[in-house]
Amino acid sequence: MAMIAMATGFVLILIGLFGALSNRNILRMIVAFAVANTGVNLVLVAVGYMDGRTAPILNEAVPVAEATTRIIDPVPQALVLTAIVIGVGVTALMLAYAYKLFKTKGTLDISQYTDLKW
Amino acid sequence: MVSPIFIIAASLGGAFLLGLLRDPWRRASYTISLLVLAFTTALAGAWVWGLASGAVQAVDILTAGTQPPFAVNLRLGIAEAAMVLLINLTGLLSALYLRDTLFIQGRRAMAVLLIFSMALSGIVMTRDLFNLFVFFELAVISTGGLILLSRDPRALAAGFKYLVASQVVSILMLVGIIFAYHATGSLNLDDMAAASEQLLKGGALAFFLIFIAVVAELKLFPANGWALDIYESAHPAFSALVSAAAGSAALVAVDKLLTIGGPAWMEVASIIGIVSFVGANLFALAQNVDRRLLGYSSVAQIGLIVFVAGQQDILGDSYLFVAGGVLLAHAVGKAGLFWLSGLIGGRELTAWSALQGNPLLIFAFASFLALLIGLPPFPGFYAKWELVHLIAAEGRLLLLSLLLFGALVEAGYLFRWFGYTIKRDRHPEPVAPSLYKHGVIGIAVLAGWSLAYLWGELSPHANLLHAAPMLFALMFLAIEWAPARLKNAVAIAGLLAWFATTYSAYDPLQLIFALIVLAGGAVILLASFQTPGRRLGFYPSAMLMFAGLAMLILAEDSFTFFAAWESLTIGSYFLILRGRQSEPHALSYLVFSLGGAFLILTGFALAAQGNSQFALAGLGELVQPLAPWVFLLLAIGFMTKTAAIGLHIWLPGAHAEAETDVSPMVSGILLKAGLFGLFMLLIHMGRQEFYGLDLTHAMMWIGALSALLGNLMAVFQEDAKRLLAYSSIGQMGYALFGLAMMNHLGWLMALMFVINHYIYKSMLFLSVGGVAKRTGTRAMYQMGGLITLMPLSFIAVLIGIIAMSGVPPLSGFGGRWILYNAIMTSEYRLPMILVFLSGPIAFLYLFRLIHSIFLGQLKDEHRLIKEAPFWLVLPQMIYVVCLLGFALVPGLALRHVDAYISNFLPQGALNWEGLTITSDFGYWSPVSIMLIVGVIFSLVFALLLLVNRKAQKVKQFNIVFSAERPYRPETTHYAWNFYASYRKALGFLEWPLFERFWGAIVDLLHTAADLSRRFYTGNGQVYAIHLLAFVVVVYLLKGGV
Amino acid sequence: MQFEWIMIPYSLLTLFIVVNYGMLLTALMQKIGARVGRRHGIPIWQNYFDLIKNFGIRSSITHGTMFYLGPVFRLTGGIGLLLFVPTIYASEMFSNLSFAGDLILALYFVFFGTLGMALGAAESGHPHATIGISRGLSQVTTAELPFALAVFAVALQYQTLSITDIVAAQQGGITNWTAFTNPFAVAAAMLSFLGSMMRPPFDVVLAPQEIPIGPPTEYHSSYMALMQTNRAIMPIAKIVLYMNLFFGGAASWPVFCLKVFLIYLFSVFVGVVFPRFQVEQSVRWFLIWAVPLGILAILVV
Repeated sequence: MAMIAMATGFVLILIGLFGALSNRNILRMIVAFAVANTGVNLVLVAVGYMDGRTAPILNEAVPVAEATTRIIDPVPQALVLTAIVIGVGVTALMLAYAYKLFKTKGTLDISQYTDLKW
Repeated sequence: MVSPIFIIAASLGGAFLLGLLRDPWRRASYTISLLVLAFTTALAGAWVWGLASGAVQAVDILTAGTQPPFAVNLRLGIAEAAMVLLINLTGLLSALYLRDTLFIQGRRAMAVLLIFSMALSGIVMTRDLFNLFVFFELAVISTGGLILLSRDPRALAAGFKYLVASQVVSILMLVGIIFAYHATGSLNLDDMAAASEQLLKGGALAFFLIFIAVVAELKLFPANGWALDIYESAHPAFSALVSAAAGSAALVAVDKLLTIGGPAWMEVASIIGIVSFVGANLFALAQNVDRRLLGYSSVAQIGLIVFVAGQQDILGDSYLFVAGGVLLAHAVGKAGLFWLSGLIGGRELTAWSALQGNPLLIFAFASFLALLIGLPPFPGFYAKWELVHLIAAEGRLLLLSLLLFGALVEAGYLFRWFGYTIKRDRHPEPVAPSLYKHGVIGIAVLAGWSLAYLWGELSPHANLLHAAPMLFALMFLAIEWAPARLKNAVAIAGLLAWFATTYSAYDPLQLIFALIVLAGGAVILLASFQTPGRRLGFYPSAMLMFAGLAMLILAEDSFTFFAAWESLTIGSYFLILRGRQSEPHALSYLVFSLGGAFLILTGFALAAQGNSQFALAGLGELVQPLAPWVFLLLAIGFMTKTAAIGLHIWLPGAHAEAETDVSPMVSGILLKAGLFGLFMLLIHMGRQEFYGLDLTHAMMWIGALSALLGNLMAVFQEDAKRLLAYSSIGQMGYALFGLAMMNHLGWLMALMFVINHYIYKSMLFLSVGGVAKRTGTRAMYQMGGLITLMPLSFIAVLIGIIAMSGVPPLSGFGGRWILYNAIMTSEYRLPMILVFLSGPIAFLYLFRLIHSIFLGQLKDEHRLIKEAPFWLVLPQMIYVVCLLGFALVPGLALRHVDAYISNFLPQGALNWEGLTITSDFGYWSPVSIMLIVGVIFSLVFALLLLVNRKAQKVKQFNIVFSAERPYRPETTHYAWNFYASYRKALGFLEWPLFERFWGAIVDLLHTAADLSRRFYTGNGQVYAIHLLAFVVVVYLLKGGV
Repeated sequence: MQFEWIMIPYSLLTLFIVVNYGMLLTALMQKIGARVGRRHGIPIWQNYFDLIKNFGIRSSITHGTMFYLGPVFRLTGGIGLLLFVPTIYASEMFSNLSFAGDLILALYFVFFGTLGMALGAAESGHPHATIGISRGLSQVTTAELPFALAVFAVALQYQTLSITDIVAAQQGGITNWTAFTNPFAVAAAMLSFLGSMMRPPFDVVLAPQEIPIGPPTEYHSSYMALMQTNRAIMPIAKIVLYMNLFFGGAASWPVFCLKVFLIYLFSVFVGVVFPRFQVEQSVRWFLIWAVPLGILAILVV
């Protein structure tokens, strides 16, 4: 199960990166990065997952004393939460940039924005 | 003390508070931002102070009430505190600088600025890997926001490219982090370091990903296209932040990772760092846009620090000293330059000429450049010294040479820029007058000099800012407002006073050099009384050069020697740059001199074997196989200064284009520094065999060739000062030849040339300078017949050329006589052929000099000119007296030195008894010669007067000329291409082989830089691909981890 | 050796002899040259007539101080060169003022007159004078080189720079002369000698048909007289140097006269046979033919 998730995650990362590098349209690039981010998040969760364990919520079902043997590692999940938030922030910023870029040149083709080079 | 967590808390709180304010409350928002930044700065400053003074200990800050690794923890040691201070201070200053922009942009921009500095402080302090990631992402997002502060529309695209790259980086980093966590079970950096072995084995790829992601955050060459775009287009205050603060923060992160990665990864860091340093500097060569150039330079500097971090295995205790020195110097210098660029209207490098007329800003500019390059007395200099010594001791010579090559290229393009600033036509757009911005730059300058002082105190060597000559030179910065003549008097008094106080410290050899530098310098400075006004910039530069020379003579250990050497180089560079047309020549002088200085540095470093305090006398104890290498490096370094053939191409322009009173200084005095170095070298090291080649033999050939070609090229000059300059190459060739003979009289001859060359070359440069001042040209064929109008200058030149040509009875003959006696015992005879040939060639250019200027036909436009100004003539007359005196009693100066040389080379000393000087082979009686010649001359003259006392002076054109009377002086004055037939016969020898050679190298570098920088296409996707390719390449080079 | 007052009259005597011998000898050489060209040539006393005439000419002008001093420099150079070298070997009387300096002094003092003359001539403002100087200086750079090498070789050979000692070392038979003990040096020096005698093929400095007479163009009357005196002294003074260095010196005046005559004749001999070289030709000629001999000389010593 974890392996599948992890493999899917990596595939998503690769798809995302490929998409981001092969599409000139800025919006498509942003979407592609979002895909890649999802892949990363999936990998994160998959690393923390342990077969046959339960969610890291300490309640009646999982007493504190048994927690270390019964729950999966909660840290990656915490990380994923943070990563998602950050990802949203960055994506929003990129979208804002895309909007402003479009306003300056009327195009979303990234190869048109090469005024600065060399 | 207040917990450092408040640095983060205050910024966050401030940012939130700003969010609550109303939009129009600009002033309040700005005040809050400033207060927050001031608070964090003060807090960081207090911690630095406390940690440095030992009042407090390094502190761990726990969060969430839990021990790590179960909660994030932060740490603040002295290094972290210094970085946090740097970041917040830069933030504060940038906020001040950005005042107007922030008022327009409003509270949101201010909040983002606070977040940015908070994120960077967090990167520095955090000990948790994931927290590091979060702070990095915060920095990315706030960077994305702050880029928009710029009014440049291109900044938008730059920001987007940056975001694309940072997306890739964050993907790498996250994947790396999770697997590292998987391998070690902890996110705490200290835990990871403890489990380093396990991590590097099982999770090597994970570590690689984290490492490379952080390295990518440093924007290292070549995966950094987006970063350059940001540097170029962002608001300069923000670029300053990115370069100084963000760069420093990321460096701390790399350092943290290296404690986990250990030696294997330090090697990777070293390689990446040095590639970045050299590559970015090379690319910068082709840049013509100031901020992009600064961007390249930032990349290079950060690469250098990564390199230093990678070398921490050998740096040991001095790691923080070295890394800190380079890092802080870079941060202050680069931030300062970016802030300066905000005052400049145009973006091309030449637009910085707008700084002209703002001496304070020019001083700031020069200070920042010196900080970047690591010139004394700035921290980079001390750091470079330690670094080079330790690398050399470890035998990492390839790295060392790359390092110095990169540094040379950097110095080249930075000083080229400085040259543009000083010498190009003033840019029409004036410097922005904002008080805030000027204030910020002023604080940066102050910080730079304070760091210089601090590093001097921290270094194991003497603080250069405590050296009296150096302080004296710097004092002139403080009295720049005073009139030049007053400063000149102070300068002369200073030189003489220093000579008087140090008089007893000199041995006879040093005494000769000290006399020339200090007393001689004072005489030349008499000519400077001529210049009215305030003469901004002249005295600090000149006195820096003299300070370097004065310290050089007394230097006993290699550090002082080298510091003095660099000081005199820089001082003289600024001095030479003052000439009207001297921009390219001053640059070429600087590049050659620094190149030579780096060779000297390497030589000392190799000799010292890791011991950064090395007495010069220790050179004598070196053995094979090291000794000849040290000898070679030092000798080439010194020969760069004496302009030995092949390394001479900087000299003619530099000496010829310098100001009237500067030419004698740099020719008569400065060239002697190289000879002093060679003396020092030969005294300590003697002969050295280099793969069977006697190096002094090679030096003899070089000296002879310099003598020949220097003289020969002088023959074909039309420009009087260039002629004298080329002649210096020849004269230094003689001196080098004498030294390399390695016998008693050879050294004595070299010393005689030192004295003679100082006197007559200074005198001739002053005379010719005076003539050029009056006639408004230096082309000799445009002059002519000035003897009656400028008789005193004529007398000076006449005495000068008689002395220089070696004709008895003047002092030049003494040099020739000693030369002949010296070669009698020399082991090598063949180089003598060249020396013999070059002797008479001197007559050619000397005659040409005096004839074309003073004899022949007077030009119509010169009929009314007067004798050169009094203050130019006065030193010339002093020199005339000196020359005559030295011709009569050379023993006065030489006999003590002769005895002193006997300590090293006892064979062949001269006998100075009575009036006649005798050697093993011959004899020479200067007084008798003078008397005999004088008596014969007077008698013959009396005879002529007797029979021809009524001779009438006729007019200019009263000559028998094919039964015609010429009337145009231009066509009658035979002066242009004076030795046409000689050129036909031997002109092939002046084919500019060396100019072409060095020119080809420079062209090659520029072309390579210009072609390869096209690799930065400007396309954001391409940059992302670069980044990925960089990752892959590093991965493969690391051997698949 | 120290200065004594008696040296002054002795030196004046040397000077007197040499001036007279020089006047006669140069005229004789002129005559020999003319006879080779099937011309009658000048009377042997011609130089005396010229000298008297030139001193007697009353019209005199000057172009300036250096112009005025030029001949003074020139003659001082000639006299000085003569007096710094011992004329007759082992003779107190005719050792002149050689206590002041050794061989190197003589070598460099040659240039004293040349330089002064060049300066004087240049002040006349006459282009021909300057052209002549330009040529002369160009030529001298390589013409002097073989001589310098030969001197070096000789000094190395005898391990001294004192002319008296060098002559002393050559005493005791003709085979002791440097000419036989060190033939390469002497060959080089004699080729160099050709270059310094202002005769074809190396007389482009004066080059009568091109730049009338070169440097002295503007000189006349008493200036000319001084230069003429020098022209009598200078060749002899130079030849004395050659004689001392290479041909065993002279122990008496008759030997002196003979040796000087023969050495002088060598340049005349070559001069009447060869046409004139251009400057660049002679520069190259010395480099190609004479310098290698000199190099050989210092290598084999």
